[in-house]
Amino acid sequence: MRLPALSLLALVTTAAQAQVTLSATPLTREQVSAFYIARGFSATAIAPYAQACVLSFEFRNAGRSALRYRLADWQAEDGIRIRPIAEWDAAWQKDGIPHAARIAFRWAQFPAQQEFEAGDWIMGMAALSRRPSGQFRILARYHDDKGHHEIVLDPLSCAND
Amino acid sequence: MTERRRFLAALALLALAPPIRAQHAGTSPAGMSPLPTVPPAPTLRLPDMDGKLVDLAAYRGKVVLVNFWATWCPPCRKEFPSLARVRKLFKPADFEVLAVNVGEDPDTVFSFAGSPDFPVLFDRDSQAMERWPVRGLPTTLVVDRQGRLALRAVGGREFDNPAITAQLKTLLK
Repeated sequence: MRLPALSLLALVTTAAQAQVTLSATPLTREQVSAFYIARGFSATAIAPYAQACVLSFEFRNAGRSALRYRLADWQAEDGIRIRPIAEWDAAWQKDGIPHAARIAFRWAQFPAQQEFEAGDWIMGMAALSRRPSGQFRILARYHDDKGHHEIVLDPLSCAND
Repeated sequence: MTERRRFLAALALLALAPPIRAQHAGTSPAGMSPLPTVPPAPTLRLPDMDGKLVDLAAYRGKVVLVNFWATWCPPCRKEFPSLARVRKLFKPADFEVLAVNVGEDPDTVFSFAGSPDFPVLFDRDSQAMERWPVRGLPTTLVVDRQGRLALRAVGGREFDNPAITAQLKTLLK
């Protein structure tokens, strides 16, 4: 089981601003589907999410100041955005997805907003609003007591399925 | 679940894991952050693995480490053994660990954790978690002897590391 993990490691895109690090790993449709089917989704129900471009983000504050971000402030190119958790959850509710599955989905997502103290970090999945045609970049904004900052993840690509 | 599904589910978790391993390599252990306002801890009254209700209020006078987690969360799984280790460092009369599982059932938790020495509570509908300052998993808060939120950590930790045990000792004075 080590070999697949090592091969995926090569797909990680990482960028840093001072002591703040952001990385993104593209996940394949099969990986995403398997994870959520094991949490109570049907293959059909999770298909719209799995077929989007899903990334596993990790955001780490190794600095000395607290920082804050809102996922709504992050941008991809060509009007592509990270689709909010609330939009997915509204769809799951409409489709009658079991409550336990919706809870697992919600908490497996990269948080919509967060305040990080020094040493804090978080990871989670997020899906773009639509699949980019090729490589793309994401501009991630956060702020701390020194002002506003940006981290650019470039280049990124969706997983090949 | 078929063998293929099990393999894919494991693969999905592994896909999340490499960044964690890479990021932890060579970094010093992180402590927890003091909460500047030290607010009262929200209500926490949930069933344990045997269905018995456990109330945080019953621990007033002790320092309590409350860990929000799920079995599917890689950093939660990684830090989980350190909860038992840190619990052993202090007297039971002074310190307790409560692990609050989010959205899962006792069978799922038992298959991962067995029967740990500390209470594992079940927040099946995540309503308890909504009342706490938790936006992602894992998140851990330490409640002081007066029932106030004193420390918080977002993301995985090793709770028996010297930085955290020193913070706990300070609260226990």
